[in-house]
Amino acid sequence: MIGPSRVAELDVPAAGVETGAARPAQSYWNESWERLRANRVGMAAGLLIVVFALIALLAPLFSLVVTHVQPQTINLDDTFFRPGLRHLLGTDELGRDTLTRLIWGARVSLGVAFLTVAMSLSVGTTVGMVAGYYGGWIDDVLMRFVDMVLAIPAIFLFILMSILFRPNAITLAAIVASVGWGSVARLVRGEVLSVKQRDFILATRSIGAGDARLMVRHLLPNVLPVLIVAASLGVGQIILIEAALDFLGLGIQPPTPSWGNMLTNAQSYFFRSGFLVAFPGITIFITVLASNIFGNAVRDAFDPRLKS
Amino acid sequence: MTQPLLEVRDLHTVFSTKEGTVKAVDGVSFDLTPGETLGIVGESGCGKSVTALSVMRLQRPGKIVSGKVMFKGQDLTKLSEYEMREIRGREIAMIFQDPMTSLNPVFQVGWQVGEPTRLHHGWGAKKALASAVNMLSRVGIPSAESRANDYPHQFSGGMRQRAMIAMGLTTTPQVLIADEPTTALDVTIQAQILDLLRHVNREFGTATILITHNLGVVAGMCERIIVMYAGKVVESGPTKDVFAHPTHPYTWSLLRSIPRLDAEKHEPLKPIEGVPPNLADLPTGCAFHPRCVFRVDRCTRDVPALLRVGESQLAACWVTQAGGELTGA
Amino acid sequence: MHETSVKALSRAWTTNEPLVSISDLRVWFPVASGVMQRTIGHVHAVDGVDLEIKAGETLGLVGESGCGKSTLGRAVTRLLEPTGGTVRFKGEDITHIRGGHLRALRREMAMIFQDPYASLDPRQTVGDIIGEPIDVHRLAKGKERQDRIRELLRVVGMNPRYADRYPHEFSGGQRQRIGIARALAVEPTFIVCDEPISALDVSIQAQIINLLENLQSKFKLTYLFIAHDLSVVKHISNRIAVMYLGKVMEVAPASQLYRRPRHPYTGSLMSAIPIPDPAIELRRERFILQGDVASPVNPPSGCRFRTRCPRAREHCAEETPPLEAFGSDQWAACFYPLD
Repeated sequence: MIGPSRVAELDVPAAGVETGAARPAQSYWNESWERLRANRVGMAAGLLIVVFALIALLAPLFSLVVTHVQPQTINLDDTFFRPGLRHLLGTDELGRDTLTRLIWGARVSLGVAFLTVAMSLSVGTTVGMVAGYYGGWIDDVLMRFVDMVLAIPAIFLFILMSILFRPNAITLAAIVASVGWGSVARLVRGEVLSVKQRDFILATRSIGAGDARLMVRHLLPNVLPVLIVAASLGVGQIILIEAALDFLGLGIQPPTPSWGNMLTNAQSYFFRSGFLVAFPGITIFITVLASNIFGNAVRDAFDPRLKS
Repeated sequence: MTQPLLEVRDLHTVFSTKEGTVKAVDGVSFDLTPGETLGIVGESGCGKSVTALSVMRLQRPGKIVSGKVMFKGQDLTKLSEYEMREIRGREIAMIFQDPMTSLNPVFQVGWQVGEPTRLHHGWGAKKALASAVNMLSRVGIPSAESRANDYPHQFSGGMRQRAMIAMGLTTTPQVLIADEPTTALDVTIQAQILDLLRHVNREFGTATILITHNLGVVAGMCERIIVMYAGKVVESGPTKDVFAHPTHPYTWSLLRSIPRLDAEKHEPLKPIEGVPPNLADLPTGCAFHPRCVFRVDRCTRDVPALLRVGESQLAACWVTQAGGELTGA
Repeated sequence: MHETSVKALSRAWTTNEPLVSISDLRVWFPVASGVMQRTIGHVHAVDGVDLEIKAGETLGLVGESGCGKSTLGRAVTRLLEPTGGTVRFKGEDITHIRGGHLRALRREMAMIFQDPYASLDPRQTVGDIIGEPIDVHRLAKGKERQDRIRELLRVVGMNPRYADRYPHEFSGGQRQRIGIARALAVEPTFIVCDEPISALDVSIQAQIINLLENLQSKFKLTYLFIAHDLSVVKHISNRIAVMYLGKVMEVAPASQLYRRPRHPYTGSLMSAIPIPDPAIELRRERFILQGDVASPVNPPSGCRFRTRCPRAREHCAEETPPLEAFGSDQWAACFYPLD
């Protein structure tokens, strides 16, 4: 980092130069990152999500090295084990290791969440950007379509879709994203409409830049902060939606473990072993809480209103 | 000399910012005599608005840390918030730069203009409205009776500023503080509002503090001016003397840097180099010294006090206090 | 066909013909209302303007807010498509050109904006902002591009090392210099300056005015200088056009306009400008206009100024006064001009 003193030593060329600009080069992104880093709780929450994601990615390794079982491994001798040394978080009615299943379940739950966010963000951004930038009838058509998408009762759509397609992580993400992109499109359009008013857009047109350049080089970077915030807040919501769908049997089907369908199973045995409900529940709770806290931290750090 | 109506003595108002404590008003003193129009001139960030707000005790989030504001024998800085409310709007009224946002969009103009009388005189709605209508017509709103029922968005910028002035005058205050009252307005409307302020000053005898960055406006409006720079008064005196023989280099350079409509031939402007200082990181000594063409060694070390220079003026400048002349190309 | 037009645009303009000529230019904006957003009328922002801008001169364009001066500037630079009339640049009709031809025009004309905070993309570095016109028109690459950016910064009086900084690190005056450097990057012949100093501090304004004047003589630029402050416009301009409600009321050389305005609106505008001299202000005769500017949606019939004009008579409502010559270089649109 360059200290402020560097400005003082700058040689001043021709007459008429204003000195000043007392701070070293700081991009918006740097500054936001600095602000985010200063938020300890937010960073801890973010770190937790990263750790969960890493564990999910490395699930096969964990099966091999830590728990020594596969998530689908049935062991009828070891049913309803309480948490202990042999099975850290116990086992279920088929003797499957809960920790292993949670770790593999994280692949599904987090994977679906990230994939859904990525899908709704890319579709939503494109639609919102095009609608906001071009305006007129293009805007009318696209936004009326968004209105319709948002008017669809999501739960019925999910039921219908899960009947039509056999849900796996990718189709499930696509199903959730098929509704989720609508609100992103609205958000982006609103942001584009306000950025579009600013003189630098006109200034860029005045030097001969075309639509593509304006959208990619100028609108997108200025819309990006709200997208980042939307993405970080979205992850938590989608984990909840996905868990609910799994729980209802509309999502990932057993025996593939997911946090949601682990709960479905557990409800039948709630009185036999409360741990079967508690662990997936706590995991979902912690993950969603962490992602909400992180999302809020990101919003505070990136809040576009803090900057002109 | 007449007894001053308002005496501001060594006023200090600070703001705490990320970059540290900022002295927005740094030892400002001035008097306002009854019926006069005093101009406070300076660029953005010089502390002229904060000075006015401090007089009204509306400087928040800033804090008045020391100094006195004497008004009718009492020190306004010592009053409770409740006592201060009795002064605001009744004895000292204020109008602001942006007439678009200083009226509440959900109330009718007449209702708002009558508000000070309802508040301070306890008048009923009817009586307050009648006085509001009267005042609106006196500030030049045509068919005031029907326009009083309009909402602010139905008024043009100039008319809103008239309504603001009317609102300020309903309680016949002794002091009117106008903070950049014409900056947001077009020139022909500015001329109307300035004319109205002159008229108000004559007819109601209201002493006026006119805060502006426009040297032309003070030239035509004010008997006396004070010039502020970086939170301090750098020069004060009768307007005609300050314009004819500025005794602070800032005033001197500022007058030479602005284009004049009545210039006979085209001569290049003589700009003040550099930028106004960052209040959180002021230069040592005189805050103007980095931009000053007359500076001597002492200016970089010691802060000059505001002292008498010449017949009628005060200046905070080591050079002119030592008898130096401000001349040059 | 495009090929020749592009060439025509980039050749030097040495003839005595005006560099820019505007005739009967109109820019109307629809006013929509109701659920169906039906067009219920038009804002006559620019409504039949004839003007000529000579090569190398500064034409000042003054008027109050809403008089259409900025819209005119944007129509001339084709940031807005005119509703009617024609704009000629170097003899070429550019009113409705598109595509490559319009891009070629962008190398000839540039614009400087009022708000130095809004007119620079906060996510770009100063170097990227100034480099963008160079990239768009593929004028230079790599080191050559860097050198040009540095050179441009130097030309506007800024330290070339500032290229990797962001706009928010600079003061208003410095940002305006960056905006000027961006405008110069295409090496234009014609620059529309839209209120370039009105957002700046008083002590900074003169720096920018002097910079614009120096650049003009250095690069042989032609300016259309739009502002509401007549004293600034009078200082910088050779000739001044006064606009009111979408129409030009008077055109004259700067000093002539001050000494002997012919249009009553010009006269009242002049008298409304405060002069920073108490001695003059004291004995100045004030000529204060009554009322507000009429609506540009339903402009008054005949002369637009008649609703506020102290000299207006019946005739003014019936017929629109044309611009008429007073001497060789002054025109005013008034039936009852000042003498």
